[in-house]
Amino acid sequence: MEWKHRHVLDLKDWKKEDILFLLDQAKNMDDLIDRPIKKVPALRGKLVVNLFFEASTRTRVSFELAEKLLSADVVNWSASGSSVSKGETLRDTAWTLEAMGADAVVVRHGASGAAHYLARKLKRAVVFNGGDGAYSHPTQALLDAYTAWKSFPNLEGRKMAILGDVLHSRVARSDIQVFKTLGCEIVLSGPETLMPFDVKSLGVAYEPDPEKAVKNADIVYLLRIQRERQEEGLFPSLDEYHLRFGADEKLVSKAKEGALVMHPGPINRRVEIASSIADGAQSRILQQVRSGVAVRMALLYLCLGGVMA
Amino acid sequence: MILFKNATLFDGKNFYDGTLDLLVRDGKIEMLGQNLSEPGAETLDLEGKVLSPGFVDLHCHMRDPGFEWREDIESAAAAAAAGGFSTVVAMPNTEPAVDHDALVRYVFEKGVRAGYSRILPAGAITKNREGKELAEMGKMASAGCVLFTDDGAPVGSSRLFRTALQYSQSLKVRIMEHPEETSLSRGGQVNEGRCSSIAGLKGIPASAEEIGVFRAISLSRETGVPVHLTHLSTRKSVSLVREAKREGLAVTCDVTPHHLHFSEESVIESGFDSRFKVNPPLRSCEDIESLWEALADGTVDAIATDHAPWHMDEKDLPFPEAPFGIASIECAFPAVFTCWQKRGKPFGLERLLSLFTSGPASVLPGEWSSTGSLTRLGKADLVVLDMNLERKVAVEEWKSKARLSPWDGLSLWGWPVLTMVEGRVVFDRFRR
Repeated sequence: MEWKHRHVLDLKDWKKEDILFLLDQAKNMDDLIDRPIKKVPALRGKLVVNLFFEASTRTRVSFELAEKLLSADVVNWSASGSSVSKGETLRDTAWTLEAMGADAVVVRHGASGAAHYLARKLKRAVVFNGGDGAYSHPTQALLDAYTAWKSFPNLEGRKMAILGDVLHSRVARSDIQVFKTLGCEIVLSGPETLMPFDVKSLGVAYEPDPEKAVKNADIVYLLRIQRERQEEGLFPSLDEYHLRFGADEKLVSKAKEGALVMHPGPINRRVEIASSIADGAQSRILQQVRSGVAVRMALLYLCLGGVMA
Repeated sequence: MILFKNATLFDGKNFYDGTLDLLVRDGKIEMLGQNLSEPGAETLDLEGKVLSPGFVDLHCHMRDPGFEWREDIESAAAAAAAGGFSTVVAMPNTEPAVDHDALVRYVFEKGVRAGYSRILPAGAITKNREGKELAEMGKMASAGCVLFTDDGAPVGSSRLFRTALQYSQSLKVRIMEHPEETSLSRGGQVNEGRCSSIAGLKGIPASAEEIGVFRAISLSRETGVPVHLTHLSTRKSVSLVREAKREGLAVTCDVTPHHLHFSEESVIESGFDSRFKVNPPLRSCEDIESLWEALADGTVDAIATDHAPWHMDEKDLPFPEAPFGIASIECAFPAVFTCWQKRGKPFGLERLLSLFTSGPASVLPGEWSSTGSLTRLGKADLVVLDMNLERKVAVEEWKSKARLSPWDGLSLWGWPVLTMVEGRVVFDRFRR
């Protein structure tokens, strides 16, 4: 199959075959991680810049690991705040990186559309979106798909419940794109105040009652609740959130037997998830972390035209 | 002296039958008729072209004084002339704000010195546009201010808005309101709906505008003072104005070329390109349909550009970091005309042209209310339009300082080829 995605900005143009091909490639990478000598020279001589405008540990480390396992040269460029407050615009940063010879830029930015913006400004380098505003987090969604796919090789017709702060979640938006394309039925749940205004435009349903949303689900996907949202007055307290929407044994028991519980991390115990669930047998949270490295390796490899030894 | 021959003539409301000749002398339309000849006059054959009163724009940000790197009165006036506008109202949200008579004169006189389109100043309603104390509206009206507005923002409080309406009544200068309930729109970036949901950007709900429209109509009804609502963008906004007009209230409104052309889908499809960032935001496809219906049925009085130029360095940023505003004055008419054609000409061309001429002029006070019409012995404010001319918008050639526009690179029809203000040719693509 010919790989036609130059950048990885969002997943709206990804077809099912693209996703499945990527998952296959990720499987190969996953096997690689188990080898005694993990490193391969596929991206030797390629310069990858990790450009992070927002604090991130797991995404950055996961990308860095993936880059290093493929033998790319890795530079971490951290910048804080918006390009305006920093005094250098994203446009100038983009040109600076290109002048340094970057082959790829992994960008995390607080502004929805920042990865698209960067891709418009760069002439040569490939852009990987490491999360932009509340719009997109494609690598997270693909690693989620990979994690689910390992348990359910056919995701067609599976039911997925996404619970929590969908309004502010780039993870939810990207997961919806991927899992819908793979044929899943998706139901959102959580307080109305944390839902996008027009849920229909995302092609999914909303069910205010989490038990109904989770009923018969194959995947229960929990989103991180940011403390600031409570301070903004979007819900009264973390405790009330947990009582109404937190994933505990009672809620998860409504799902199908053997349903997967997933969370992009970092988790807030006793807010969106009870420890008994986070640490329970159905949890795939740590597998998601591992999948992240394999999926990012596969993406880097495909988009940078790597050569497997 | 110029003699226009064989023109399809539009008088601001209707077309004359057949073609006519028109003689301009000493800044006035001296004669209208068939087979005119005037030795010594330059003769231009307008076969196949439309001769219309020059366009009138009620809403243009000239950024002068204070932000001249974005635009100044000279560049805005030259750009307006190229867009077919012979009269343009300059918004007062400058630095300092145009909130007293000296600045009203500054804007007017700088426009005269620039020598392109006629620049008419709008004055702020409140001192420094702070929404606290009334500005000296009387002095500004005497100095030639043609509208009052705190545009960029709504009038601070409803109480003050009511007072401003009452106080301005005897001045015969209309208040133009930018309707927005800011507690609902604050922090918003895009239309609350499909775009905010898909983009994960904070939404600006339709209700933020509609509450502002409702407020203005209520206050106009109660005080009996006319009010003009600018840049309406939602279905319910125009339907509120429609009802108000049915009720007989002196409520007028305008819509912009960008709200007629682009929807929130453009924001999504462009990958959140900041060229599409504007307040009020680009709305849904259904809203656009309602705006076109409101153009057709007379609810909308004018198309106003809300030309809002920014320097490239300020505007070319990731969407949420970029400022609001779309530059459009040089392609406003072709943009709307092209949409009108693509929509299958939903109403007569005379209606479309009136929205750029007699419609906006009727909102202006005194002598200016007739600028949008073409009468014998009236001011020779004219535009020649080539409806069949197709051109790509090329912002790098603009007279405006703006170098970003959502129309850049798009092919449009219906370009102004000559603009005249009181008999002076201020833009000419015709003879070159």
